[in-house]
Amino acid sequence: MSNVRRRTLLAGSAALLAAPRMAHAQGAKPKVTVISQWSAGSDGLAITTLGKRFEQEGGIWEHNPVPGFTTEMMNKLRAQIIAGDPPAVSQLKGPEIAAWSKIGAVVDLDAQVKAAGYEVVVPAELARLSKPYGHWIALPIQAYRINTLFISKKAAERVGVTKLPATWAEFNTTAEKMKAAGITPVTNGGLKWDDGMKWEIALCGISPDAYRKAVMQLDAKALKGPEVLAAFRQFRKLGEWSDPGAAGQHYSTFITRYMKGEMGMLLMGGWAQGVFKQAGYQFSDYMIGPAPQDDGKVAFDLNSDEFIFWQKKQAEFQEGQKLLAKIVMAKDFGPMYSQITGSIPVRTDTDLSAAGFSDGQREAAKAMAEAVKSNRVILSLAHNMAQPNQITAAMIDVLTEFVHDNRISPEEGQKRLAEAVDNVR
Amino acid sequence: MSWRERWGSVLPHLVIWPPILISCGYVLVFSAWTVWLSFTRSTLMPDYSWADWHNYSAMLATRNWQIAYTNLFIYGTCFVLFTMAAGLLLAVLIDQRIRGENIYRAIFLYPLAVSFVVTGTVWGWLLNPSIGIQKLMHDLGWASFRFEWLIDRDMAIYTVVIAGVWQASGFAMALLLAGLRSVDADLLKAAQIDGAGPLRTYLRVVFPTIGPIFVAVLVMLLQFAIKTYDLVVALTAGGPGLASTLPTVVVYDFMFQRSELAKGSAAAVMLLGSLAFVLVPYGLYRKWKQRKAEAHA
Amino acid sequence: MPSRIALSRLAIHATLIAFAAFWLVPLLVVALNALRSTEDIAHAGVIGLPHELMWSNFRETWSSYCISQHCDGIQPYFWNSMRMVIPATIVSTLLGALNGYSLSLWRFRGDNVVFGIITLGVFLPEQIRLVPWVIVLRDLGLFNTISGLVMIHIVQGLSFTTLFCRNYYVSIPQDLLKAARIDGAGFFRIFWRIVLPLSPPILIVTVIWQFTGIWNEYLYGVTFTAGEQQPVTAALIALSARLSDAPQYGEQSAAVLLAAAPTLLVYLFGGRYFLRGLTAGAVK
Repeated sequence: MSNVRRRTLLAGSAALLAAPRMAHAQGAKPKVTVISQWSAGSDGLAITTLGKRFEQEGGIWEHNPVPGFTTEMMNKLRAQIIAGDPPAVSQLKGPEIAAWSKIGAVVDLDAQVKAAGYEVVVPAELARLSKPYGHWIALPIQAYRINTLFISKKAAERVGVTKLPATWAEFNTTAEKMKAAGITPVTNGGLKWDDGMKWEIALCGISPDAYRKAVMQLDAKALKGPEVLAAFRQFRKLGEWSDPGAAGQHYSTFITRYMKGEMGMLLMGGWAQGVFKQAGYQFSDYMIGPAPQDDGKVAFDLNSDEFIFWQKKQAEFQEGQKLLAKIVMAKDFGPMYSQITGSIPVRTDTDLSAAGFSDGQREAAKAMAEAVKSNRVILSLAHNMAQPNQITAAMIDVLTEFVHDNRISPEEGQKRLAEAVDNVR
Repeated sequence: MSWRERWGSVLPHLVIWPPILISCGYVLVFSAWTVWLSFTRSTLMPDYSWADWHNYSAMLATRNWQIAYTNLFIYGTCFVLFTMAAGLLLAVLIDQRIRGENIYRAIFLYPLAVSFVVTGTVWGWLLNPSIGIQKLMHDLGWASFRFEWLIDRDMAIYTVVIAGVWQASGFAMALLLAGLRSVDADLLKAAQIDGAGPLRTYLRVVFPTIGPIFVAVLVMLLQFAIKTYDLVVALTAGGPGLASTLPTVVVYDFMFQRSELAKGSAAAVMLLGSLAFVLVPYGLYRKWKQRKAEAHA
Repeated sequence: MPSRIALSRLAIHATLIAFAAFWLVPLLVVALNALRSTEDIAHAGVIGLPHELMWSNFRETWSSYCISQHCDGIQPYFWNSMRMVIPATIVSTLLGALNGYSLSLWRFRGDNVVFGIITLGVFLPEQIRLVPWVIVLRDLGLFNTISGLVMIHIVQGLSFTTLFCRNYYVSIPQDLLKAARIDGAGFFRIFWRIVLPLSPPILIVTVIWQFTGIWNEYLYGVTFTAGEQQPVTAALIALSARLSDAPQYGEQSAAVLLAAAPTLLVYLFGGRYFLRGLTAGAVK
C-alpha cells in the first residue's frame, strides 16, 4: 500500500473514531474480536480476565485463541486478512507491527493516545514500535525483561554463593565452582529461541551499545567487531555448561533438578517466575536479579506484547476498539494483567507495591524505568523485537547451530552471523 | 429421444464430471499457483512482482535447505528400507498360521491410528536422555547405558527414522500380508512338490508374485516420507540446531514463520520436483508392465 | 528332543513377541503416564509406574480443563471433530467410489491422465495448500465455518479415495458390465446393482483411512475454524504448547488417549477388514 493511500485510510478512520455519538445513537454495543496465541496457562487466564473486564464495561468480547505458537496465530491472522475479515484486535509485536500494517488497514489511535497522555509514560522503544509510520496503531500490553538471572538457592548454598554475579567474569567463576561441585551450571533449554536468548544476553552484558549497533541497526562493522566475538566466546561457555540433553528441550523440563540444586543458574525472561510458581515453587527457592552487566550499569533487554488494531467498518467494532484502547491505556490495566502473567506493566508510572507483585517484578520495573532514563533499553532479538522475522530467523539459525556444534569456533560463528545478515539484508 | 431418455444420457455426465473435475482441477490449480508464487517476490502476502530465479538460488544457498535435502535422502532411504523390511518380516511371520494373529495384527496396526504429533511427542519423551529410556536405565542401575541420539547432531535424524518406522511398519505389514495370502495355492503346492523348503518357496515363488504389492507399498511409504512434518517437529524440533530439519519444515518455516511466501514456495517446488525422480520411473514401470500384459494376452 | 519344527515355531513366536513388546512401549508409557500425576512424572521421568491411580487426569481433561475462556475440557472439541470428520469421511468415500467407477469402468479419453493427476494430489504437502484454500474459501463465503473445513477435507480426501477405489474396481470383470449393458442398464443401474455391492472391502479401507487422516489433522483444523468450533487436535496442542507453564505430562497423556480413542477403536474393530480390503486396493 502506498504511503498516500495509507495516510488517507488512517485519516478516514481517525475521523470515524472522532464521531462516537453517532454510534451510540444507533445503540451498537461495543464489540471486539480478538486473535491471540494465549489459549492456556497464565497468559490465557490474563486475557480471559481482560475479557471479563471488557464485558463489565458493557462490551461484547470474542476471543479466538489459536493453539500453538506465534506462527500458528499469524497464520490465522493472515488467513483472516486474505479472507477480508480481520479481527478487530490481534496480538502482534516488534517490527512485525510495521510489516503487517502494510498489508491490512489499521486504525489511527493518535487522538485517543494523546487524550490519555499515554506516550509520555511509555518507554520510547515501545512507542517507536507502536507507531512505525508516525501514527499509533498498536498498544503495548505488557513488558518482560529478558536479561534476568535466576539462581537456585540450593545450588547457591552448595557452592557458597550468596548474591548474584554482577559481571560475566564473576558468572564464569561461579559456574566453574558449580561444575566442580557436580552441579550443571546452566539450566537453559535448547530450543531455537532459547539459544538466541543466551547469545543476546551475553552481548547485552558485554556492551549494550554494541548490541544496539550490531543487532538492532545491523551495522556491519559492529557485527564483525570484538564485542560480538566476545559474546560468541561467552555463548560457547554457556553452551558447554548446559545439560548435554538440553538440545530441543524446553527449559521447564529441568525445573525439578534446578530446584533440587542439581542445576544452578538460569538466564531467562521474567516469565520464568510464573512458570516456577505454577510448578509449585516459592520465591524463597531461588534468587532473581539482572543478568551480568560488565560495565555495572543497568541495561534492559526488552520483550513486549502488543495489540494491533485492524480497521473495521462496523460501528460496533469501532466502539469496541475505543473501549479496549481505553482499558489498556488506563493506569490500573498494568496491575490487573501483569499480576497474573508475571510481566511488568508498560506504564513507567505504575505503582507496584500491591501484594500480587513479586519482588522480582518490582526490581525489573525499576530497572526498566532506570534504563529508559539512561537510554539503555535494547530490543530482544530472540523474541522478535529487534528485527523482522526473516532476519531474526536467519540469525537464530546461525546461533543455534553454533551452540550445538563444538566444532564451530567463535570466529567462525561470528563470520557466519555477518554473512547470514548480509544475505537477508 | 424422449425427455426421459435425454435426461438419462445427460445425468451420468452431470454426476461424473464435477467430482473428477474438482479433484483433478484442485491438484493442477494449487500446484500451478505454488509454482507461480515461487517466481514472485511475495513475503507476507501473495504479491504480483516478478523475481525470476532469485528465490530458488536464495533457497539453495541456505544451510537450511542443504541440510534438509540431505536429510530427506537419508531419512527417506532408511525409512522406506527399514519399514519395508520390518513389514515384510512381520507379514511372513504372521503368515505362518500362528495363534493369536488377531492380537498381533491389532498391535502392529494401532500406530496408524495415532497422529504424527502424538508419535513425535511420545518418542521425544522416550528418547530424551534426561527423562526417558536412558534415565530409566540409569535409575535401574545400569549407569553406563547411553542412548543420546536425540541430542546428537549426527544421529538426530535417525531418531526420526525410528519413530517413522514404528508408525508405518504396520501398514506395510498389512499390505504385504494380504498379498502373501492372495498367492495362488496351486503355485505353493507345486513348489512343495518340487521339494523347495520354506525359504526357497518365499524367495523364488511368493515374492516375485507379489512384486506389484512391493511397489505399491514403496509408493505409499515415499508419500509418507516426503510429507513428514509434524513428526519431526514434535520429536526434535528440527534440532539440535538444524541437524534434523526436513524440506517440509523448511517450507513451513520460510512460508509462514519468516513470512517469505515466495521463498517457501520455491522450496516446495524443489521438493515436489525431486518426487519426479521416483514417480517418473514408477510411471514408466507401469507402462512397461501394461505393454507386457498386452503382449502376452 | 524338540523337533526342528517346534524350534522354528518357538523362534517365530519369540520374534513376534519381541516386536510386539517394542510396538506396545509408547502406548504403555502414555497409558501409565495418564494415570500418574504431573509432579511424579517431572521428578521420576516419563517411564514409570503410577504411585496412585490418578483417574482424575481423565476426568479433568475431559470436562474441566480450561482452554481460553471455557473450562469444559476437551469434550466440546471432541464433538466438533466428530461433527466434521463423519460427514467428510462419508462424502469423500462415496465420491471416491463414484470417481473410481467412472475412471475404471466407464472409460473416456484421457482417463488415465486424469487419474494420474488426481493421484498426484496424494503427494502435495499440506503447507503449500494453505493459502490457496484461504482464497477459495473466501470466494465461496465459507471461511471460518465447519462446512468449509469439511469441504476441504472432502476435496483433499478424494485423491486417496479415488486411488483406492479405482484400483479396486479395475479388477471387476468387464463381462459383468457388458452383460448388464446388453440388458439395458445405464450408468447408475450398474453402479447401484453391480459395483456397490462388490465394494464393501474397499469402502471400509477408505472409511478407516479417511476417518483417521481427518481426525488427526491439525493445520487446517486450526486455521479454518475459530474458538469454540476447533477440532480436538487443536485442544491437544493447546494443552502441550505452553510458553508460560511447565509441561503437564499427566493431563497431556490423558488427553492423548482420549483424543486417540476413536481412531484406536476404529483400527481395533476394523483392522481385519482393513487388511482384507487393502490387497485389492493398491495393487497393480
